[in-house]
Amino acid sequence: MSTAQHVQHSPLRIFLKTIAARAYPRVMAANRQKTWVFFDMAFPMVGALAMVLVYQGLHAPRQYLGFVVMGGAMLAFWQNVLWSMAAQFSWDRGNGTLELYVISPTTFEGVLLGMALGSMFTVTLRAGAILLLGSLLFGITYTAAGTLPAIGVFLLTLAALYCLGMLLASLFLFYGREAWHLSNAMQEPINFLSGLYFPVNALGAYVGGAASLVPMTLGLDAMRQLLLPGTPVFIPAGTEALLVAVQIPVFAVLAGISLRYMEIRARRDGKLVTRWE
Amino acid sequence: MGVAITRQWTGYAAAVRLGWAVSSNWTRPILFIVYSVLRPVSMALILAVMYTVITGNAAATRPYLAFLIVGTAFWSFIQEGVSEFATGILEDRGRYHILKYSYMAPLGFPIFLIGRATSKLASAAASVVIVLLVGTLALHLDISPLRVDYPLLVAACLLAFVSVIAFAITLSMVLLAGRDLHGYGEIMAQFLYLFSGAIFPISVLPGPIAWLASLSPLPYWLELCRRAIMHGQAYLMFPNLSDGEVFLRLVAATAGTLLLGYVLYRMADRRARRLGYIDMEANW
Repeated sequence: MSTAQHVQHSPLRIFLKTIAARAYPRVMAANRQKTWVFFDMAFPMVGALAMVLVYQGLHAPRQYLGFVVMGGAMLAFWQNVLWSMAAQFSWDRGNGTLELYVISPTTFEGVLLGMALGSMFTVTLRAGAILLLGSLLFGITYTAAGTLPAIGVFLLTLAALYCLGMLLASLFLFYGREAWHLSNAMQEPINFLSGLYFPVNALGAYVGGAASLVPMTLGLDAMRQLLLPGTPVFIPAGTEALLVAVQIPVFAVLAGISLRYMEIRARRDGKLVTRWE
Repeated sequence: MGVAITRQWTGYAAAVRLGWAVSSNWTRPILFIVYSVLRPVSMALILAVMYTVITGNAAATRPYLAFLIVGTAFWSFIQEGVSEFATGILEDRGRYHILKYSYMAPLGFPIFLIGRATSKLASAAASVVIVLLVGTLALHLDISPLRVDYPLLVAACLLAFVSVIAFAITLSMVLLAGRDLHGYGEIMAQFLYLFSGAIFPISVLPGPIAWLASLSPLPYWLELCRRAIMHGQAYLMFPNLSDGEVFLRLVAATAGTLLLGYVLYRMADRRARRLGYIDMEANW
């Protein structure tokens, strides 16, 4: 009679391996599926192109085209946060993966962090391509001195944005068909509130202030201030970067609390194994 | 003959009801209405802010704001009719696995598709009205329901709906060839956005693309909608053409779209049957 070897791994090791395991398909599968590579880039690009043409129709100064191209690049991230983070657990529940997560000796946080890191890498490549292509196509130039600080703000914004994605993922856990509609519904209003295609200060203090809850609003505005000379200032870039940095732990902690609560509720109501409601 | 027509009508009505149920029964009616208008209203607000930032809302440029808002309002028909419709058909196949039954039903598949598309266009109507209301009340556009040229508006819209349905049905049949083309209806709607004159005059496009856009019925439809609603104060894409001339172009472009759509639909349909696309396992 043989005795099965039972190896006890440390929780940290399992956590880190979960992150790597969940990030892997995000990087590899996302690039294997050529139709989605095209979709992920074409969608924000075509949207940005439409807005550039609106500005041209309005005979706007050239700097506004830069606003749009940067907004188009950031749209790729927001789209990813909505569809591949927020709605992901809902899809996973539908196709039966969520129940595997639940019975595995890991945590939802590890799975979500893996998704976030994999997505960040993949979408950064695509957003970079959008930025490069848009800048070349419309002859947009950036302030070289602002590049490094802008990269710093960009990384902070990504971290905050994906922590928000983790929070939304836990909130969307219960949704079936509603997840699709909610993601769809959140797309355009956030495009408006985050000033994706225009300077945020045009929204005014109150609306702009409320819109600052979405990290993209402040992050994008700070990056524009650093890279595009003459950007109307909503809040100084340094303050915006600080506020985005504060949002990271806030959203992360809220995501953790929300995940725990939703998991307990889902276990109690038997919702973790419900397919395609 | 009479029985056949009655049966077709019943089938069409069932397809409309099914389309409406799939679109709307995931939530309560009031939430569905809010959901339906969030996107077009947000889009209208984005354009209004862009316009204000650049022009400072100067009185001389107000017709251009009306141009943007009316274009955005009526764009809901394309958004629903093309993007949401294509998504719906792909969901019928991949998610709900009912497309094969609809295809085999004695009703006739095109009637089913037209019914589904009709429900999408009907649900877009609420968005159109609400965006125009926002334009009138919040952005102070000079739109009065008493001064709208309704015969022109209705005639233009009916022709446009024929084009939109023909395009959407053909696109959906073509998309059935892919295993994971969910979202491509949205991309196609975005491309049409560029060619339609919804948010900028097609003359802004580079020469050959502007010429291509002028073959589409959409710019003529939106031009007629603006002329009908703004009663002489519209910013015109075709200032040298009379209403009648624009209408004639719309008729010709619609006929062309219908013909091309029919030919492509038949080709895509034959291919789908031969290669088993109708009940292919996909997406979900």
